Amino acid sequence: MRYRTPPIDKTKQAPTADAGITRNAQSRQPLSVSLNDNIKQVKQALGNSTDIIIKEITIGPGPGGGLPIAILYTDGLVDKQVIIGLMESLMMDTALTKRLEQDSAARANIVQILKSDVLKNAEIQEVTNFEALYNAMLSGDCVFLIDGLPQGLSAGARGWTDRGVAEPGTENVVRGPREGFTETLRTNTSLIRRKIKDPNLWVETKQIGRVTRTDIAVMYIKHIANDGIVKEVNARLDRIDIDGILESGYIEELIQDATFTPFPTLYSTERPDVIAAELLEGKVAILVDGTPFVLIAPAPFVSFLHSAEDYYQRADISSFIRILRYVGIFISVLAPSLYVAITTFHQEMLPTELLIGLAAQRERVPFPAFIEALMMEITFEILREAGIRMPKSIGSAVSIVGTLVIGQAAVEAGIISAVMVIVVSITAISSFVMPAYNVSIAFRMLRFPLMVLAASFGLFGIIVGIIALILHMCSLRTFGIPYMSPLGPLVPSDLKDTILRLPHWMLNTRPRLLNQQNTTRSKQTPPKKSNE
Amino acid sequence: MLNKVKISSRQFTILTTLFTIGSAILVVPSGIAALAKQDAWIAALAGLAAGVIIISMHILLAKQHPGKTLVEMLDTLLGKWLGRTVALVFIATLFLCGPSAVLNILSNFLTTQMMPETPIQSLNILFAVIVLMGVYLGIETFSRSAELIFPWIALLYIAFIVLVSFDVKPTNLLPVLENGMRPIWPAALSFVCTAFLPNIILLMIIPSVDNRRNEAGRALLIGGIIGSVVTIVIITITIMVFGPEFTARSMYPTYALARKISIGNFLQRLEAIMATIWFISLYFRMTIYMYAISIALAQIFNLKEYRPLVLPLGMLLVVMSVIVYPNITYQNSWDTRTWIPYTLVIGFILPLLMLCLSGFRNLNKQG
Repeated sequence: MRYRTPPIDKTKQAPTADAGITRNAQSRQPLSVSLNDNIKQVKQALGNSTDIIIKEITIGPGPGGGLPIAILYTDGLVDKQVIIGLMESLMMDTALTKRLEQDSAARANIVQILKSDVLKNAEIQEVTNFEALYNAMLSGDCVFLIDGLPQGLSAGARGWTDRGVAEPGTENVVRGPREGFTETLRTNTSLIRRKIKDPNLWVETKQIGRVTRTDIAVMYIKHIANDGIVKEVNARLDRIDIDGILESGYIEELIQDATFTPFPTLYSTERPDVIAAELLEGKVAILVDGTPFVLIAPAPFVSFLHSAEDYYQRADISSFIRILRYVGIFISVLAPSLYVAITTFHQEMLPTELLIGLAAQRERVPFPAFIEALMMEITFEILREAGIRMPKSIGSAVSIVGTLVIGQAAVEAGIISAVMVIVVSITAISSFVMPAYNVSIAFRMLRFPLMVLAASFGLFGIIVGIIALILHMCSLRTFGIPYMSPLGPLVPSDLKDTILRLPHWMLNTRPRLLNQQNTTRSKQTPPKKSNE
Repeated sequence: MLNKVKISSRQFTILTTLFTIGSAILVVPSGIAALAKQDAWIAALAGLAAGVIIISMHILLAKQHPGKTLVEMLDTLLGKWLGRTVALVFIATLFLCGPSAVLNILSNFLTTQMMPETPIQSLNILFAVIVLMGVYLGIETFSRSAELIFPWIALLYIAFIVLVSFDVKPTNLLPVLENGMRPIWPAALSFVCTAFLPNIILLMIIPSVDNRRNEAGRALLIGGIIGSVVTIVIITITIMVFGPEFTARSMYPTYALARKISIGNFLQRLEAIMATIWFISLYFRMTIYMYAISIALAQIFNLKEYRPLVLPLGMLLVVMSVIVYPNITYQNSWDTRTWIPYTLVIGFILPLLMLCLSGFRNLNKQG
């Protein structure tokens, strides 16, 4: 968008990255004194890749007496304007030429001179070995190697094509900021910085991935975030040993508390305002280069049911909508299994008229309620998955097939009952009430074991299933914090922002389990009319 | 082994409440109405008064041996061999009379009232599986679950009481004390034996309670009182709706009560509410029993971990639950002739003896 250079193709980058595995052993070796040897070494190590540009120039006086300098960078990762500027300042600098001419000591001090006087670039670093050289060059920096010196300079020149800040695709709000994270780490940190200008907002950066060397940033507000959790996040990140990190999902899976659970224990979002809110609650954000999804740790269960918009709308409305979401969970988990249980075992629970109507419909259906429900639920899941993966242009075709053929025609053909279609639809719609996609999918999957229990043991089976589910959820932890807090264990002071969302002037303390030191959020008093 | 995990005193109150409600809410009204007729509620109140004294005794015992489970208390009071033998006898008999009997009551209820065609073993295995899951995940997890579920139970209970109250006929409670005080006492005794005496087992988990503010004892008392008040309300309402004769004759009067609910010809047959409350309180009663028994066995045999015991105990539980009561007549006579003396021994005489013994020791030390 901003630069003319074409986007980087990941597959083309792969060969150079693969070479990195064998390169590691020898790359710690220091740079040689001879410029030609260095260039030869670089070319050999990178396999003469065509996107590696090496330019040799001489600066200083006359032919033969000049100082040869090589400029190395990766095409497509650098901003060409910056490179041109750097080369201009090297070659056109008459003061430098004069100095090299007159002062013989200048040659020896060339690194210092270039660093302080010539290269008017903010990010200059000395490079002394090949490891650092490759790292700088392949991250988009420009490296200067000087003949006769076993060291070089790297100058920040990063600039590549990226997607601009756009509205996030997954978490839509009616009211609230429209910006979302992008694939570039630096843009993402800046989006958060723009919301929180406190000097205590700290960023720690590290590279993870033996081959991909992905930049990871850990962001938190010092003194608000619990130091123990920050330390734990860093320790878990440092323990990762994998060849590549291509998305924050990799990190999530490698640092989460429990693997064998359908429930996510890290929250991921595309919205900077959500991250800012969570940082203010004392949580830790993990940003991964190359993906707009930023992770938050710790993430107790209730945070998956909160939407950013809850805090932007009126408190009473938001509370009502939150309660709706909890009802949505119950419906999406229980509706099909309750239908199966009631029609199979507990017909007496229905009012007589409804029961007769239901029985009349079910009379034509050849399958037991369980098979009927299972068929429809699986069909729905297939439709949903197809809806995500298929090209957008044929979306209408699938929806016609889905509604008309599978819905109406199946009822008319007597394969399923109309009530079943209603049950499946309400289940499906309720499951989309949840703001976090990964939790709603977890609950949708849990319907199936509950349906099996309902079909074999009726209501008793459902209750057994629910107890097992609650036990499992209560046994989970996220970065040392019980997953179901503040509901189980009950933390009364945190209930004000759990199922209900009380007005902002009442939300004056931060979640208690997270951070023990700085818990006061505000000393805001209820708003008053000024003429009183 | 135990001191690492901590539960809050609120969680302990909830556990105690659910443990006390346990099976009582469904079964007790019938038994107590058979003995005290329309005065069952007076008997239950008398039972509550006696229960407070008994619980205070348990608390006193726990206070004299802070940080110790019942087995460890016996260990210090009676010495290693005698203490552990008594503990083993206590635990082994409790395993039969506690969780196995409760599971049997549950499956009996299910096969007679809800699902007559389902084999009893499958119901027992299914329920035992989640009990074992709870025990295996540990006290912290199932206390948190109890805390999470408790508001729902409270809500269902209140809804149930409100809905049933439309059918209440207070005249069913008259005449008060028709036969004098005499039938009150056995009824009160049976109430105490179900609602309070088995609570001695909670002394096995009291060291896990976070006792920094000295609230564990209070939690034991409050939980017991809440649990029994819930039961007393149910007893009174059942008698007010059905009258003492039907209540006494019915096997599960509270469940029958739920069938009476009919609001606007739409909200009717809400047995499910009652069954849900009952399944969940039973679940926690069984889980606490099994957890306490596992812990006790681990301590008796000096094991570092109780978890290896859970699965074998669970298998035993399923087998014993099927054979513990061969038939309903046996169960009825067992409930009156064996259960009452048994719980009196473990819940009253045993702690009384232990209190005397430790008092005697203290005297000796001072003298």
